[in-house]
Amino acid sequence: MMTSNITDSSIMATYNPAVSSGTSTLLPRAQGSTWASIVSGQPSRPRIASTGLRGQRNGSSANLSDLGSQSGRFHNPALSNALNTLSKISQLPTSVPSYLEDSLYSERLLAARCPSANSASLLSRNPSMTSLALVAQARGGGLKLDIKDTSLLQEDDLPTPLPTRWNENDKSGGIDISQDGLDVRFLGPNKVTEYDSAAVRADHHMPRSCGVYYYEVTIINKSREGLIGIGFCAGDVLLNRLPGWEPYSWGYHGDDGKIFCCTGVGKPYGPQFDTKDIIGCGINFRTNTAFFTCNGRNLGDAFRDIPMEKKLYAAVGMKKPGEHIRVNFGQERFCFDIDGYVKDERLRAYSEIESMPVDDLCPPLEEAALMQSLVASYLQHDGFVETAKAFAQDLQAEQSALNSGRGGPTNPVELMEDQDAQRRQTIRTAILNGDIDNALELTQTHYPQVLLRNEQINFRLRCRKFIEMMRQSAELMNGSRKKAPPAPGSGSKNKGRTFETYAEDEDVDMDEDDGETRSDCDMENGVDNYNNRTAADPLSQSDMLAKLLEYGQQMQRDFKDKPELQDEMEEVFSLWAYPDPMVSPVAHLLSIDGRAPVAEALNSAILVSLGKSSRAPLERLVQQTTVLLRELGEEGGSAAFINLHNWINSVEYLPAS
Amino acid sequence: MTSIASSQQPSLPSPSEWEKKVDDIRPSKSDMNTLVMNYLIIGGYPSAAAKFAQEANIHPQLNLEAIHKRNRICTSIHEGDIQSAIEMINDFQPELLQTHRRLHFALLRLQLIELIRASMEANGDIQPALTFAEKQLAPRAPEYPEFLRDLERTMALLCFPPDQLSPPLAKLMDPDMRKEVAAQVNEAILSHQSVLPEAKLRSLVRLRAWVEAKAAKSESERLRSIPHLDLGLVPSKAENGSSVI
Repeated sequence: MMTSNITDSSIMATYNPAVSSGTSTLLPRAQGSTWASIVSGQPSRPRIASTGLRGQRNGSSANLSDLGSQSGRFHNPALSNALNTLSKISQLPTSVPSYLEDSLYSERLLAARCPSANSASLLSRNPSMTSLALVAQARGGGLKLDIKDTSLLQEDDLPTPLPTRWNENDKSGGIDISQDGLDVRFLGPNKVTEYDSAAVRADHHMPRSCGVYYYEVTIINKSREGLIGIGFCAGDVLLNRLPGWEPYSWGYHGDDGKIFCCTGVGKPYGPQFDTKDIIGCGINFRTNTAFFTCNGRNLGDAFRDIPMEKKLYAAVGMKKPGEHIRVNFGQERFCFDIDGYVKDERLRAYSEIESMPVDDLCPPLEEAALMQSLVASYLQHDGFVETAKAFAQDLQAEQSALNSGRGGPTNPVELMEDQDAQRRQTIRTAILNGDIDNALELTQTHYPQVLLRNEQINFRLRCRKFIEMMRQSAELMNGSRKKAPPAPGSGSKNKGRTFETYAEDEDVDMDEDDGETRSDCDMENGVDNYNNRTAADPLSQSDMLAKLLEYGQQMQRDFKDKPELQDEMEEVFSLWAYPDPMVSPVAHLLSIDGRAPVAEALNSAILVSLGKSSRAPLERLVQQTTVLLRELGEEGGSAAFINLHNWINSVEYLPAS
Repeated sequence: MTSIASSQQPSLPSPSEWEKKVDDIRPSKSDMNTLVMNYLIIGGYPSAAAKFAQEANIHPQLNLEAIHKRNRICTSIHEGDIQSAIEMINDFQPELLQTHRRLHFALLRLQLIELIRASMEANGDIQPALTFAEKQLAPRAPEYPEFLRDLERTMALLCFPPDQLSPPLAKLMDPDMRKEVAAQVNEAILSHQSVLPEAKLRSLVRLRAWVEAKAAKSESERLRSIPHLDLGLVPSKAENGSSVI
């Protein structure tokens, strides 16, 4: 027990170096459950911890110490690889300075931290469920990070950690770094030669994908001369000289207020440093320039044409005893308004984008026609049949109104009567209404190949059906109590109906409404869906549970040869464990929000089986934009300031015009 | 770790590898639906917006009545019934045309164009058009220099037979003129309601064009090697085109 305790704490320290700095402390609990999910998500692993880890996962009490001892005992290469990746993830900051919030860097950070937000696992396939995934995490419900995700997270895909402290192992002699890694003191001998100074680099380089990197240094104490240099340099620059005096080294010096660009000859730039001064250093990776600030005032561009081929590290150097500085890598509020600086960069990019012509994107379509085509094809592709019709009618009305001036004949819009689109929409509606049997039956009738060839989708449908049965059972049990799951169910549905009263020119689709009502509210009819009984034949709680058990066992038989599905299945079956699943830690599984992703997946599979692209052009547009933005942002250009998801969901992303 | 290392790699990704990178992105469905819903709302397609809320099972915070009003105003303009449109605008947002002088002038000029069009069809009685120009437009002409120019150009329509108009004049008679003014009115109403006057889709399309142009002009060989990524819209364009437009 003693030994294991020692191991535990040392492992803690190794895997979570940020703890001591106090700047980016991880929640061990969250990490523990993530880790446990990795382990349990590996299909090829020896089932080392079927009792231990699994139990902890459900209880969400697995923590790093457990993992440490596990991996120590088992020497499983897959395990230690995953552990390596994880330890790299754990070095990443849990939060970024506010000026980086919209940057590509923080987007990648989020992707690395919460892979489930983008992953293909059962629960999180719905991309709109980021919040749900987070809820799951908070509840310790086992945030999914299965083997697929781990393999996606190759080292190259991980963002680099941000600088958090001075690097104890990357300093010259004569320098003392405080325990928290933020204070630097010069201790060195009094009689140093002209060129002998001492410098230190930060623990990580400044990532270009930040777009702008900025840090501040407080002069806590200066010698009479104030020989302190603040700046940045490449990782291989000698540290026995002040920043700026060597090739690949840039600095602003406090004794004379001069800046030094890879040379011993300085240029007058700003004030000399005084005790209590706060000196900031910022690098703009779009312009490849650097600037310094003094007590919140921007002193202007100091360096231009900073070469991009080497990674650059924040660095400080000093020369006289008694000199003492403290760095702010973003753990505290900055003195200079760097948020405003970055916002200006972002607005600059936005206004450039605003004036971008789109004629070359998809000739001969000009902007308005391109948007119409994108929307129309998306509606058709994703099976929004009624909307597609209404949209076509709206456009036709617009066109005929315009033509009234010409007096020419109006061309009637041909409505696309695409049988497949209709069927896909019917199947989608069935799933959205929770009527999985109907969806399965329709799919079987019209697209028999789809379920055979897409085991994963078949499995997800079956899981969903189990969940729907569980919902019914829970609602039955709760009796008069209204349905509980945290879903935008009834309330917002009503809002949907209010629309219809306004929309005079459309026929209200009563069938669909009935469907909603039935599955959401009316118990007996809902049960009817599952058991092919008449509505007048009420089902008792025990009958329902028997049905559930039978269905669960059937699923286990059908998928027992699929190790990769076991975890998801167990997750769903964990609903069994609670007397009232609606208020259990896994209640999120029951949310009707889970229907849409299943419907999307089936729709895509049907489209692929019909030889159509599984992606609508609008979706391609988003995909391409995402890839291009990332690639551009890695180079540190304006694209690093744009976060597509925030862009789409923001309400104030436009410059005030 | 990422950018520098990868840009130094000797081999650049092949076009198919780029396609795969694109395929590996999983756009959020809710983001997609947000984009479409926003487009339908901003563009003023009330019935499509209502259907979409139903079919996509999303519940936007939207005032459908306002969309309908906006839609009716734009439809009136599309039909050339500018008088009704102005009345509806004044009814809906009384101060809008007071504060948007240029927009008001654009509407009145369009009304003049419609009167001229009517006079051409009604065998040349140009009196209503002349009276309207004199009473409604001429007093406003001094407000901005371009008003007078626009008014003069519009009045020139009266001097030519409709089938012999020079291209700039013919443009005034084109239905696109109505569309343009309707779009301006649409934007003004939206801004007035403190709604972003521009569809996010429009920004997205421009963003897409921008990133491609940026990559093509980049100093990085890797970025310049990115092939033109097709939207998959063109092959189906014929069928879409006929049904949409």
